[in-house]
Amino acid sequence: MSHFAPEDRLSRTAGLLSTELDQETVLMSIDAGAYYGLPGVARRIWEKLENPTSFSELVDCLEREYRVSREACVSDVEKFLAEMEREGLLRVE
Amino acid sequence: MSLNAYRAYGLSIHTDLICPELPRHPHPIHDPDVTITLLPRQEDTYYLLADCRCEVQPDCCQVDVAGVARYRVEEGQRILIQPVPDASPEKVRLFLLGSAMGALLYQRGLLPLHGSAVMSQWGGVVFVGPQGSGKSTLAAEFHRRGYKLLSDDVCAIESTPKGLRILPALAQLRLRADAYQQTGPPPEAYFDVDKFAVPMGEKYCSQPAPLRAIHILSDEGAEYPRFEIVRGLDRVRCLFENLYRPHFLVGQRTQNDLVRLAGQIAQRATLATVTRRRDTTATADLVRFLEFTWTERFGSSLNERRVS
Repeated sequence: MSHFAPEDRLSRTAGLLSTELDQETVLMSIDAGAYYGLPGVARRIWEKLENPTSFSELVDCLEREYRVSREACVSDVEKFLAEMEREGLLRVE
Repeated sequence: MSLNAYRAYGLSIHTDLICPELPRHPHPIHDPDVTITLLPRQEDTYYLLADCRCEVQPDCCQVDVAGVARYRVEEGQRILIQPVPDASPEKVRLFLLGSAMGALLYQRGLLPLHGSAVMSQWGGVVFVGPQGSGKSTLAAEFHRRGYKLLSDDVCAIESTPKGLRILPALAQLRLRADAYQQTGPPPEAYFDVDKFAVPMGEKYCSQPAPLRAIHILSDEGAEYPRFEIVRGLDRVRCLFENLYRPHFLVGQRTQNDLVRLAGQIAQRATLATVTRRRDTTATADLVRFLEFTWTERFGSSLNERRVS
């Protein structure tokens, strides 16, 4: 059972600040005093979310770029997106 | 209207106010970076300024300080001050050089840290930390030992093609009366609003200095002082926790540049926490501890400096 539907529109939550540190993107919510480091694929996903993207588009793109199986890709991306959603970093429509 | 010319944070400033806190500009200026204007006092500002509040818009920041003044800071170029009728000039300047100047620095894309900076042979070192952690007292001890100081309380960082630099600002230290429990205030100190002001005099470094390190002071800890490098994500957290008036950042037109600059600072400067217990480590001992630690970490010879 999937947490996200293929046509779900995903985008960044407004009002977050981000900067680059070492090889990571650092996200922060100053009001909440919360800081997140996004290395590797996580960083790429955040980059892709600059413009609203559907879940299936995102998975297609990462599957191509990282040469992983569809199944593994869907499962990993889902886990990560669910975590982002819990932390209030992701907008799902 | 007679204009006074000053120089702080790398900016030339024209103002009809007399600000003894600011270093004089060395020569007359025609096209100042910043103008500060005192508006006539008006009776109706009394009820307007019952509360302290601030409003940040992309190019305009309005700061109300109850019982003192309303400051409008525009486009990183102008500060307009509307004082309440009986506000003391010292208080009007205190918040001008604090909150209002802080807002102006954000507008200009300069990142203001809440701390004091000293010039070492390895470059500028900024001391930040919670209120009362001893930032100014430590800077004053370095000053007493002959070090040049760059700024006190608000310390602005700029990014240049040659690297990150600390911009020198007010040529005075502001110290709480208890900083002088043992020695008594120096003869040149005078009492201003709530603190002693001590002019830096000859030991004011008027040129921008390369940023070498940022030390986060903390009063907790073991009997002996400790120096610990901050790593990973905590570097960014430490910086943002020690910004001057952090609520001025969000909503600025320069917001994204400033956050990027914070990332560069976190990456390039040495960020370290310095913990010590005040009852077991005197400020003079902390200075010696830091001199020793810097020599050990940053190298001692001039040759090594050239290489880095």
